[in-house]
Amino acid sequence: MNSLLVDEEEEETLVPPVKEPSVNSDDPQERIQARRLRIAARLEARRREALGESLDRKKESEEDQSKSFKQKEESRLSLSKLLLCGTELVTNIQIAGDMRETHRRLDEDEAKRQRVEKLENEIKTSQEKFYDITAKWEDSKMKRIPQDLWGLLNEQQHQCAMLIEEKNKLISDLQQELKGKDDQYVKDLKKQGDDITLLLERMEEQVKNLINTFRQELNHIEKAFEQERQELLISNKKKWEREMNVHNSKELEYLMSHMKRVEDYEKQLNQQRVRDSEEYNSIKIKLELDVQILEQQLQQMKATYQLNQEKLEYNFQVLKKRDEENTIIKSQQKRKINRLHDVLNNLRMKLAKQIKQYHEDNITLTADYKRIIMQFRDLQKTMRHFAIINDKQFQEVWIINEEEAKALMDKALDVDKIIQLQQLGLPWTRPDYWFMKNVGPISHFKKKSATELVHELLLMSEEEDESQKSSLKDQKSRLFLPKHLSAKTVRLILEIMCDESGFLIESKLLSLLYPLERNESCLLKLDSVFAALGIENEDDVYTLVQFFLDFRARRATSLQSQEALTPVSDAEGIGSIRRESCVPGDCQDQRHLLCSELIHPNDVLKALKAFVISQQKLREAPMPLKVVTQRELRDVSQDSEYWDALCFIIPLPRQKLWDALIDALQKYHNILTQRAKLLSDNEFLEQQNTELQMLLQQYIDSRINIELQVPPTQVFQGPMK
Amino acid sequence: MAIPPPSKISVSNPASNTRRMRRIIAEDPEWSLTIVPRLSELCLQHIVSNFEKNPVLTQLNPIQQRRVLDRLSTDLPLKVVANLVTDESYWRRRCNQRWAVGHVEKYGNSWKRMFFERHLQDLLKYFIPGTTDPRVILELVPLCQDYVVRLSVDQFLPPVKLEQQIQEMEQSDSASETEVEEFSMDHYQLGQLVAGLRRLEELDLVFGVKDCGMNFEWNLFLFTTRDCLSLASTIKACHTLKVFKLTRSKVDDEKARVLIRSLMDHPALLELDLSHNNIGDRGVRAAAKLINHSHLQILKLANNKIRALGAQALAHALSYNTTLLSLNLRLNCIEDEGGQALAHALQSNSTLTNLHLGGNELSEPTATVFSQVLSVNTALTCINLSCNHIGLDGGKQLLEGMSDNKTLMEFDLRMSEIGQESEYLISVALNANREAARLRTLQPTCCHITVNHINNAAD
Repeated sequence: MNSLLVDEEEEETLVPPVKEPSVNSDDPQERIQARRLRIAARLEARRREALGESLDRKKESEEDQSKSFKQKEESRLSLSKLLLCGTELVTNIQIAGDMRETHRRLDEDEAKRQRVEKLENEIKTSQEKFYDITAKWEDSKMKRIPQDLWGLLNEQQHQCAMLIEEKNKLISDLQQELKGKDDQYVKDLKKQGDDITLLLERMEEQVKNLINTFRQELNHIEKAFEQERQELLISNKKKWEREMNVHNSKELEYLMSHMKRVEDYEKQLNQQRVRDSEEYNSIKIKLELDVQILEQQLQQMKATYQLNQEKLEYNFQVLKKRDEENTIIKSQQKRKINRLHDVLNNLRMKLAKQIKQYHEDNITLTADYKRIIMQFRDLQKTMRHFAIINDKQFQEVWIINEEEAKALMDKALDVDKIIQLQQLGLPWTRPDYWFMKNVGPISHFKKKSATELVHELLLMSEEEDESQKSSLKDQKSRLFLPKHLSAKTVRLILEIMCDESGFLIESKLLSLLYPLERNESCLLKLDSVFAALGIENEDDVYTLVQFFLDFRARRATSLQSQEALTPVSDAEGIGSIRRESCVPGDCQDQRHLLCSELIHPNDVLKALKAFVISQQKLREAPMPLKVVTQRELRDVSQDSEYWDALCFIIPLPRQKLWDALIDALQKYHNILTQRAKLLSDNEFLEQQNTELQMLLQQYIDSRINIELQVPPTQVFQGPMK
Repeated sequence: MAIPPPSKISVSNPASNTRRMRRIIAEDPEWSLTIVPRLSELCLQHIVSNFEKNPVLTQLNPIQQRRVLDRLSTDLPLKVVANLVTDESYWRRRCNQRWAVGHVEKYGNSWKRMFFERHLQDLLKYFIPGTTDPRVILELVPLCQDYVVRLSVDQFLPPVKLEQQIQEMEQSDSASETEVEEFSMDHYQLGQLVAGLRRLEELDLVFGVKDCGMNFEWNLFLFTTRDCLSLASTIKACHTLKVFKLTRSKVDDEKARVLIRSLMDHPALLELDLSHNNIGDRGVRAAAKLINHSHLQILKLANNKIRALGAQALAHALSYNTTLLSLNLRLNCIEDEGGQALAHALQSNSTLTNLHLGGNELSEPTATVFSQVLSVNTALTCINLSCNHIGLDGGKQLLEGMSDNKTLMEFDLRMSEIGQESEYLISVALNANREAARLRTLQPTCCHITVNHINNAAD
């Protein structure tokens, strides 16, 4: 039955995974489903098993163990009943005692109540009587007659005796009751003693009874078990014998078959042996033949072995020799190695020494270098100092010389003036030269700062606004703009920049600038923008403008190239731009128009960025030289010019005039001196004349008179006139 | 250890006696053929003989200890033996020698405990205040403090002076009670003794005299106020006490209140037995207060003077109590009022298992309430309503209540006039309940099988 059940279970457990989704499936849902099914199947199996077992047990208990189990149950029930009855029997006494006690208490209570009542009644009656008696005592006082009094007293005595008697009677009653109670108590004691003995008897009886019945039941149970065991034994024995019979018969069968098989095997063995012996013989012969052949081969091998041995010995000798040689060479090499090691060590020592020396040299040289650098610095310092002093001296010398020259010049001019006015009688104007006002050494006039330039530009634009037709020449005279840049373009570009680069200006400043005029605010804005961009000079401004123009040009070309890529292009636009780029200088108006058009405000920032980067690159390179060379770069060429110009304050024609004048004056002087001489001569001559007149008269017609420039006749005539 | 002189050896040597040489004495377990006893044997003998002066035990090995203990005298003073010897067989010998009957099972299977408890009990039993030296008992305290668990004394003797007083009283008939009061009738004060006993768990006292015979006097059974006060302080100080019994001692309301007040919030007390006293309603009210102020599990107030009021107080306390398991009010007079109150309390109580209301003048109204209790309550297993006047109708109502109850196992209704029929039916129902309970305890799993058997058997 069990095996069947197990089979069923196995079948149950085996069946589901075949039909249902498998646990090893790829789909997780399917796997979950499979596991659930498996759990359910297991639970089902367990439940069935339990059910089956319980059924089994029930059947077993009913069939197999029925006898003993029944016996046990029966005896247990009877015993418990007996126990219950016995305890009841024993406790009955206690209960009866309790009952009696309660009854007694009730009776006692009742009796007590009656007694109390009785006593109270008695008290009442006796009290009444007592009152009567006491009342009569009052009466007795009223009695005067002794007989009456005696009678009354007798009566009183009688009454009192009665009262006392009653009391005594009561007391005796109570005492009798007490005695009765005592008797009752003794009886009760006896009764209780009896009860206790009864109780003890019953208990003993109960115990004996119980022991007996327990023993009996035990015997019964044992018998039942024994019987069951006997039955079981008999049945098992029968079973055993049956099984044994079956087993024996089977054993016999096995034995017979075994015997048969043994005989078969023996036959086979014999056959096998015969065959084996034949085979053995043939193999033996073959193997002997083989042995002979192998022995021959062995002999041959031995011979070759001998030969080889000799050869090897020879080789061994040779190798030994070689080995010796090798050892010699080795020793030589070792020695060489030692020597070389020594050399190497020496070289290393030398190297170390050298390094040390060089190191020391290096230290001394660095010290020297430092010293020299210091000296150089001192020298530079002194040089700078001397340069300054030189400058000063130069300036002083210059000024002295200049003053001297100026004095000379003034002198010359005065002379010229005097000459002009007095000698020549010409009007004289003081010549005005640029060097006239110059004081000190000539230096390049400073570049205008960027703001000044802008200021000027803006002023110019204002003027332009005022008088639109103002001449360009005037402006140009004031502003030294580069040729290729017009003021307008510059202004426009600056204005655009001013508008676009507001971010470079501080916010506070912007709020301050708000109320100002457009130009002023623009100026201040540009000032801060230039400060931010690092633009200082006029030149920087121009380079900026130029950069903008270039940038625009580059953009234009890039645009152009982009447009060129497209087949359908605006020919006119390209043409105009090309023309524009080809001739930048000619059409300035066009250009500035283009400026405003082509430099889009959005591009300004990019351009600015590019400009700042390029500026930085430019500035980084030449900065360090500037400081030293500034003074030396002073232009000497103009000095000589200046001085030369000083020399030629009096122009050459005038000098020539002066030369001529000198000549003339010389001549005049000569003439004058001649005249003076002549005058003296004249006087002398007059004297002579007078003398001569006398002589004239003698010599009136002398030839000397004719050879003179002024004919003596004229002189004669002039003074005469 | 001095070697005994050879002459002694010859004396103790069994071989020296020619008569003994000849035969083997079967009773002597130490008999041996060796003519000269071993030195170790001799030493052990010496130890045994001089144990009182020089107790050597712990230094010996177990086999030697065994030998010494087997031969130790039972008359050795307790001072020597009490804390040294723990061997049960020695104490068993001592007990058996002293008392003919003794159930060691009642003493936790410890002969030593039995010896000391009974020894102390005897001393207390025959202690006469004023004449007996109290040191006799106090000296014993350090010896027995570890072994005495229960102290049950069923008699306390009054002072000796009393006898003279009694004689005087006999001479002069009209001896006033005030005179009696003047002489201290106080019994032995347990205070010091109990304070010394560390393991004490149970106190069972009866203030009375046994075997007084014809010398009976009420004064012999006087539980005085001082006794009461000292006992109260004693039990209050004893924190290990679990069971306190004071029976047959004429404890009245006042004394009961004093005692119970001292037991309030006691940390260990589990059982209180004040049976066979004179306690009335006031004392019971105190007890009712106690059950909710301690861990009390068993309360016995049998054979007192409890009336309906006291029962009502108890019922009120019981209605919200969760510790009390057993209540015994046998032989009181709580009547229907008290019975009804208790029954109502049991409807809400779910811890009480044992209730004894025998001999309480209960009648039908109580039975009706109890029938309701039976159908509601599942904690009760044992009720005793014997010796009451429940009557036939009350019996029928109780039977109805029983039909719904599956937990009650004992229901004593003897002598309560309920009629044989209902008594039999109730007993059948109780039987079924008992069987069910037995099966529950035996095999909780397969009870349904055997129930059939029982039914079959019952049929």
